[in-house]
Amino acid sequence: MDYFYHVLVMFCLYAILATSFNVVIGLAGLFALSHAAFYAIGAYTTAILTTAYGVPVFVAMAIGVVLTAAVGAVAALPALRVGGHYLVVVTLALQVIVIDILRNAQGLTGGPDGISGIPRIVLFGQSLSTPGSFLVLAAIVATAIYFALRLLAVSPFGRALRAMRENELAVQSVGKNVVALKLIAFALSAGTAAIAGSLLAHYIAFVSPQSFSIDETILVLAMIILGGTGNLFGAVVGAFILVLLPEILKFLDLPVGTADLMRNAFYGLMLIVILRFRPEGLFPERYRYTLPAEAEQAAGAFQLTPLANFENGAVTLAGENLHKNFGGIVAANGIDIELRAGLVTGLIGPNGAGKTTAFNLLTGFLTPTSGTITLRGRPITDRRPHRIVHSGVARSFQDLKLFRRMSVLDNVLVAFPNQFGDKLHNVYFRPGAVAAQERANIARALEILEFVGLRERASQEADGLSYAEEKLLVIARLLATEAEVLLLDEPLSGLDPNTLARVLPIVRRLAAQGRTVCLIEHNLDVIREVCDVAAYLDGGRVLTIGRPEELMKDPQLLERYIQ
Amino acid sequence: MDLILQLLANGISNGSQYALLGIGFGLIFGTTGIVHFAYGPVFAASAYVMWWLIAALGLPFPVAVVLGMAFAAGFGVLAYLVIYEPLVERGSPSFVVLVASLGLFIVIANTLAIVFGTDAKTLPDFSYGIYFLGDVVVTGVQIAQVLVFMAVALALSAFLKYGTWGSAIRAVTDNVDMARIVGIDTRKVAIVVFAIGSMISAIAAANLLVREGASTHIGFFAVFYAFIAVVVGGVGSIRGAAIGGLLLGLVESTGMWKLPTEWQSTIAFLVLFVVMLWRPTGLLRGN
Repeated sequence: MDYFYHVLVMFCLYAILATSFNVVIGLAGLFALSHAAFYAIGAYTTAILTTAYGVPVFVAMAIGVVLTAAVGAVAALPALRVGGHYLVVVTLALQVIVIDILRNAQGLTGGPDGISGIPRIVLFGQSLSTPGSFLVLAAIVATAIYFALRLLAVSPFGRALRAMRENELAVQSVGKNVVALKLIAFALSAGTAAIAGSLLAHYIAFVSPQSFSIDETILVLAMIILGGTGNLFGAVVGAFILVLLPEILKFLDLPVGTADLMRNAFYGLMLIVILRFRPEGLFPERYRYTLPAEAEQAAGAFQLTPLANFENGAVTLAGENLHKNFGGIVAANGIDIELRAGLVTGLIGPNGAGKTTAFNLLTGFLTPTSGTITLRGRPITDRRPHRIVHSGVARSFQDLKLFRRMSVLDNVLVAFPNQFGDKLHNVYFRPGAVAAQERANIARALEILEFVGLRERASQEADGLSYAEEKLLVIARLLATEAEVLLLDEPLSGLDPNTLARVLPIVRRLAAQGRTVCLIEHNLDVIREVCDVAAYLDGGRVLTIGRPEELMKDPQLLERYIQ
Repeated sequence: MDLILQLLANGISNGSQYALLGIGFGLIFGTTGIVHFAYGPVFAASAYVMWWLIAALGLPFPVAVVLGMAFAAGFGVLAYLVIYEPLVERGSPSFVVLVASLGLFIVIANTLAIVFGTDAKTLPDFSYGIYFLGDVVVTGVQIAQVLVFMAVALALSAFLKYGTWGSAIRAVTDNVDMARIVGIDTRKVAIVVFAIGSMISAIAAANLLVREGASTHIGFFAVFYAFIAVVVGGVGSIRGAAIGGLLLGLVESTGMWKLPTEWQSTIAFLVLFVVMLWRPTGLLRGN
């Protein structure tokens, strides 16, 4: 019976590892391979503190968790600058360094022999020295962690993580701080792995480097892939299957060494087969969900939030003498532009004229080589994109950058400003306030979707939309930011007349209610219809600016543009 | 002073091996964008195959190396066609391809251990000379490692510059979509780079076989060092991978001046960590 309990304890520990790893891999989309290293740091910290320094068990475990979270945050530092494959190699290096230290720092870690004689956990006067008694604790901790991480996954914070996974630029364009998101995701995931590690140390009363090799990371990865990336329940199921399966293999009469090798080879084969035939795993992440009825009822007609003090025609966002060089290429060569409240400004000009570069400079996605950007007279030149969104300037992208593997509703929800649930401490300590605001936001998101004509699609996956619907969703997402200055990169190109007839009034209405609107557009008829002011860009600067009709009378300009 | 010169010589020799592994891996990674983790086990498998050809069949070393290279090329191409291509064709995110390559990595690595056992396989009665350059002692293998690396690097550069497939490979490395538009068969290019990259790894495997034999862990460290060399040097640049590998060898070796041997790889990875923070695109930017 003890043997059976032991298998269940290991299942609990792997469930903790798999769910916490899934936060980084599945939700945040950060491909790190150092989970076993965090598991190790948690285990060794408590092992060293309790055996060598006599620190009480729970204090030592807590120190291990905090320390590991800190190491996780440091490991995330390169991830802030580099993505994808670079993160893989850096985290792999971290894994190798940690194992090297465990093996070589003999005095501290006991070297290859590890540390034995780690004290048992004593709870309510009982020493948890048998698998049966330890199972109770392991099950409670694993369950608590599962629900805590699930709460995170469905919170606005978890939504921001998924949005970051889908598109890192777009998530900044709706005001999220990707640096903070990554650091917190890493630290949280590492700290949680350390909980599993410290439990392991006190459970088997022994730690050695062999328990934390890169194979462990791959095993936990296999659990996630099998269960379903981005689905925490799937990770638990994956852990269950992969902990149990080798136990069944034990009934086959194989030599011990060969059995281990065959088991590992089997994990590898399973990874390949799953990715080939069911890449989403046993329990795919769900993108649709049922809308809460009360939010449906609460949704009324969409009204733009009135601006406190706006003066029609006053300059809001202005760029002065903006230059941008990439190596030898000059993308912006002294752009001067002033956008005014209540007016729609159109940017026209040939490809490569610097229109999108102007947007990137104005919204902080590019830092100008020289020049200044001001919002209502205050400089915002060096602010990072999410801070500029908080100041009230939001933009869309020509290639849309939707959060594809998320619901249409989530695409809008993620963009609302000042969400309590974006802060992790609110998710856990003010769940009521978060839930109330979430209900109100869902109602408001439905209003916005109704306004652009996507209400019917709210609970569907964004990936399944038609092109016109995608462009409408981009506008809905932009509206949700509540920004007063809206920069739209080719919102109208490629639209059929019906959709165009739906979008044009939206643009006009935004301006009528005091928003500053700027859009990039190639179609001169559309410019004439919707814009109050048009600016003609070429060669990285604004050549002419004026009323569209006047601009289009300029024969020289017309000729250059149409050629 | 003698010690430093000795460490530099060791560093250049080891660095040449890392650089050799790096250019093979970098060619595959830079051209196809696939993080071919199984590069390591393919390298290890060809070392075992060469060992078997020599120790069991009694073939001469050069013949075994040529056959080992052919084996590696076939294995690498097979990995691409059977594992990676179907996933890439389906438009899987690069993370999926990466996990698949990890899967392939552990399948091959563990199969090798089952087939060949976990003990080290060394070549019987293989002797090489020891030479003195002033006070610096170098072995024949160390010199061979440097010469082999230089020969392969020059041959690869010449091939990329003048070879039939060279310009196509450079075009794909530069811009896949554009290469496709001008009618380059990107599938064939991928097959060619997998073949050449794997062959280069087999040459490195021959070096290792002579120096210390084949054992179960060589695959992981081969791909890991290769990956680091490429990332430190700059993805998409063969010269970068070569410089990255040499640098890695030198840093690792000179670290031993003041620190005990067992810390050498830790030092190297810390250097990588700092480089990634300071210059994420690598020392030499890829073209």
